[in-house]
Amino acid sequence: MATAGLLVFLAAGGLLWSRNIARGIWFLVFEGGALGVMVWTSGPLTLAVAVIGAVTMIVKAGLIPYVMHRVMHRWPQEFRQDSSLPLWAYGMAALLVLAVTHAMHLLASTGIMLHQALFFYGLATIHWGLLMVVSRRHVLSQVAALVSVENGLVILAASVAGALPTFMELGMLGDLLVAAGLLVWMSWRIHHHLQSTDVATLKQLRG
Amino acid sequence: MVIWDGLGPVGVMVFVLAAKGPNVHKLPRQVAWWATMTCLATAGLSFPAIWRGQDTAILEGIVNLIAVSSAWDSVIWRREHQAISLRAYYWWWSLFWLSLNVIAWSPNLAVSWLAIEFSTLASGALIVLGNTPQALEAAWKYIVIASVGLALGLMGIIFIYGSLRSQGLGWQTLSYVNLWRHHAHIAEIIRAVATLLVVGGIGTKVGLVPFHTWLPDAHSEAPSPVSGLLSGVLLGLCLITLVRFIQAVPVPSESVLSGPHLLLGFGMASVAMGALALFVQHDIKRLLAYSSIEQMGIMAIGFGLGTPLAETAALWQYAFHAVIKSTLFFTSGHLTERYHSKNLGHITDLARQHPKMAGLWAVGILALAGLPPLGLAYSEWMILWALWQSHALWALVTMSTALVLTFTALLYHLLKGLWGGLESWPQLKANTPGGKTLAETSAEM
Repeated sequence: MATAGLLVFLAAGGLLWSRNIARGIWFLVFEGGALGVMVWTSGPLTLAVAVIGAVTMIVKAGLIPYVMHRVMHRWPQEFRQDSSLPLWAYGMAALLVLAVTHAMHLLASTGIMLHQALFFYGLATIHWGLLMVVSRRHVLSQVAALVSVENGLVILAASVAGALPTFMELGMLGDLLVAAGLLVWMSWRIHHHLQSTDVATLKQLRG
Repeated sequence: MVIWDGLGPVGVMVFVLAAKGPNVHKLPRQVAWWATMTCLATAGLSFPAIWRGQDTAILEGIVNLIAVSSAWDSVIWRREHQAISLRAYYWWWSLFWLSLNVIAWSPNLAVSWLAIEFSTLASGALIVLGNTPQALEAAWKYIVIASVGLALGLMGIIFIYGSLRSQGLGWQTLSYVNLWRHHAHIAEIIRAVATLLVVGGIGTKVGLVPFHTWLPDAHSEAPSPVSGLLSGVLLGLCLITLVRFIQAVPVPSESVLSGPHLLLGFGMASVAMGALALFVQHDIKRLLAYSSIEQMGIMAIGFGLGTPLAETAALWQYAFHAVIKSTLFFTSGHLTERYHSKNLGHITDLARQHPKMAGLWAVGILALAGLPPLGLAYSEWMILWALWQSHALWALVTMSTALVLTFTALLYHLLKGLWGGLESWPQLKANTPGGKTLAETSAEM
């Protein structure tokens, strides 16, 4: 479990750092695969665990990266690249890791952590995903960031409770699939209407 | 009862799947009649529970009532928007209605979270159907910001679930009754952190300041029958979900991070910001959206205060607001079509050009402004009275000032819409020497 958590964490780092959207999609496939394996190896292989692992693989390592790739593949080369990560984001990424270790120190006495390393990987992945939402400007990078945040939440749940209830795991996967499908479709529409994949062009409304 | 409530949306899905070829154009009326019939059936069945004041039954009644009015408004709205794909519209509309019913009914935090998340997706898809770059932008911001907020909320839920893992109850661990019974087993710091995350996370969906940035865009770009559901029903239901959580997992009241403190703080910020923003709005639907932020602030203050009087008043506020705001959104949609603009500067001379809609608009805006004897006046006075009784002076001053500002701003926009403002009121103009406007006359004097 810890190894799978580490792989997801490293892939989240790669996702944050990578400007190349195609490479980012591969990082997502990697995260999804590691999560699926983590689910299967988290305890006795019951039917529910097998199903959740399989659906995780299909949705996170298969369907979502596939639709992202399909949409991206239709765009000219200049729209397949994100702008470079701003300097402040590197500093913020380091600060967030420090903040996560501090939070772990504060929560240690509560006994909430079943698995300390996994807790760190989960919380750090969530924070890096959130950082990616605010620092990356490509529409598909933002979709990938949201998927990465959700992956971090699954690891966090594994670290404090072993796993989430089956009903919730499947519900979250369903929600994520619909959300990612909608956002990828909207990415295609944004490119179609605005000839851009930069979220900074979405500024007609005042907020 | 749950089955009856689910029957309405599921029936709409069946109608959508069955509608093919030339039958598609009959869909709006079929859906409206079906929604009306199921709403009447559920209202009849749940009448004893509503009579007893059971809040779940009341909330479901409100959801169904506004869904029916949205369905009938969709019939008219459809005539004005022929390009919209009816099957896509009603598919997402039914899923949105279903998610609203689940949020209202849910006795479990996990179910509530999933339904809130799904309501975001269904309503986001409905906004995109607007098929304009603005609608696309609004939907994008809405889904991304709400998803980030809900992810934070889920983090809080995971902490709570992890703290009670030893119970081995599965998803039932997160039922509100179970949480209330066993909240003492959750470490205080975990409760405080989880409360902060859940209030911030689901508060994003409520539109509480400072998490509100998506709201004016999404509510103004959504199809008007959907804006009515979003603003009138969904925001309040998310707030009530927050209140259910806060009451089930209380944090000691001396902690700054206690749920009631957070609700009061965010409520005051929302009331103040919402009221001030009303003055500078030029878009008819954004005006209503900012008013929703202000109204959610009032409800948050009521629930945050937590006295029986304040909570009852906040629930009344929710019910009145749902009816008034949805009616106003429906009306604003038709006005926008009549004037081919959402700009308040263009929607003028209503009283002469569209007297019936002007009447409806005027009553709605005056009700929203809190004019007695229209509903919101009572609930707002009840909350003010509860604040006075609890010596919550900061909240009292903030809310009273905001109410005065809201009244002034809404009255200004109403007068401008009905007669083009006092300056261009034809009768006044005619009575002034030489038929000049008041401004011209005063300038000469």
